[in-house]
Amino acid sequence: MPLLRERQTRFASALLAADAGDDDRIAIYRNSVRANYRKALGATYRVVAQLVGEPFFHAAVDAYVKDTAATGGDLNVYGGSFGEFLADYPHAQGLPYLPDVSRLEWAIDEAGRAADVDGTPEAILAALAMIPAERTPSLRFALDPSCRLLTSVHPVLRIWQVHQPGFAGDMAVAFDAATDRLLVRREAGVVAVLRMPPGDFAMLQALADGRDLAAALDAAVAAETDFDLGTSLRNCIANRTLAKLRDE
Amino acid sequence: MNRFLPASAGLGLRAPHLGLVLAERPPIPWFEVHSENYFADGGPALAALDRIRADYPVALHGVGLSLGSTDPLDIEHLAKLKRLADRVEPAHVSEHLCWSSVNGRHFNDLLPLPYTPEALDHVCARVSATQDFLRREILVENVSSYLTFPESSIPECEFVAAVAARSGCRLLVDVNNIYVNARNHGLDADAYLAAIPPAMVAEIHLAGFDASGPCLVDTHGAPVAPEVWSLYERALGRFGRVPTLIEWDTDIPEFAVLQREAAIAQSFLDACLAIAA
Repeated sequence: MPLLRERQTRFASALLAADAGDDDRIAIYRNSVRANYRKALGATYRVVAQLVGEPFFHAAVDAYVKDTAATGGDLNVYGGSFGEFLADYPHAQGLPYLPDVSRLEWAIDEAGRAADVDGTPEAILAALAMIPAERTPSLRFALDPSCRLLTSVHPVLRIWQVHQPGFAGDMAVAFDAATDRLLVRREAGVVAVLRMPPGDFAMLQALADGRDLAAALDAAVAAETDFDLGTSLRNCIANRTLAKLRDE
Repeated sequence: MNRFLPASAGLGLRAPHLGLVLAERPPIPWFEVHSENYFADGGPALAALDRIRADYPVALHGVGLSLGSTDPLDIEHLAKLKRLADRVEPAHVSEHLCWSSVNGRHFNDLLPLPYTPEALDHVCARVSATQDFLRREILVENVSSYLTFPESSIPECEFVAAVAARSGCRLLVDVNNIYVNARNHGLDADAYLAAIPPAMVAEIHLAGFDASGPCLVDTHGAPVAPEVWSLYERALGRFGRVPTLIEWDTDIPEFAVLQREAAIAQSFLDACLAIAA
């Protein structure tokens, strides 16, 4: 093995090893690496960090990094599986809502850097007007690239809201609330989290999965018997959740 | 749009100050941003950079390419850098003379290279491949280090100069890193400057270090130290008026604090009578 590769391999092993006392110069790098990940994940998972406190959060990040190595040089896209990690993290078992709060924060992070689209509601409506009515059931829509759909049996939106900077109201959270069906999306540069009715959520989930409008309607009615497709579709086009028709 | 950096003192622009810069358009001659922070497909950060680029010269500074790694070059990372550089048309694209990853695992930090003929060959080939991919020149920056390797046989300053001479890149000379390494490893900082050909120096970086431990650590979390200002003055004496950047990444202070640091750098630039090479 060439010396440089051997040197880097040995250096990497030393970074992953435990600290070996005060005279250990590698420890400076070990600390620096640790600090980078704590800072990066701390910026994404602000509510998780508040919920568990800094020492717990740092220990969880350290354990996550050991478990899930970064494979790329862009720290902004590292940490997407932190929620899955926390679901199995022994020390977090007393906080069953923590994984879903993490998933919500990751969805918000992703929504913030998703691609921009240049389509407009008017363009979709114009395209729809050109399509014969008998083809409507087989239409497929693409959601705006920033859209993320999440469900949780925990009141994660409320938990997230009361931990936002500047929140001044009552921080009480009712844990017996109904299932959260959430749409995360970016509009005019700002990421918002919206609680969706069951029918709308089921329709968007089906469309996001690439299914056609007939299948989306079936799913929506199964979730909410008095679901009104026309109204829901118009709203989702008007607010740009549905960004364009898929070419099929 | 200005595609060249003025020989003045710019600032590293970080997320906490984006809003202020967009709203107030402070009289800063140029800004530098971390490339990876704008690798996104879209969204408000990228839109903000577009607006800043419309009014200021901008340089892109990469922290994650892992130039010195013996793993294959990360083409996906390079492609994102190229997409960003093609969009922003920055005056400079720079990377660090270090490595960050091996055997598929990234450490997302600036790790030191041994200074050997093998490492020199390797880094030069990687710089050339990067420049070929980006279809533009890059700058390579000397890094701080906290240990040395027994196999190192080339003085760091000669290694740095040789990378530029052999690969055709130019240098981003971090004067703070030279000072930190001089103190940490007993190097002669002035001899270091003397080994760097002035024509290769396209940009200078300045930042603060932490002196609380057994060696100096390049934290980018403090004002530039008096000894580093003094070394900077000597660097300008040798290199001439070179675009200079103040970097601050840990415990980021108010924008006004950064402006004061830039004003000090500017006063050294103004006093520098040497003509840029």
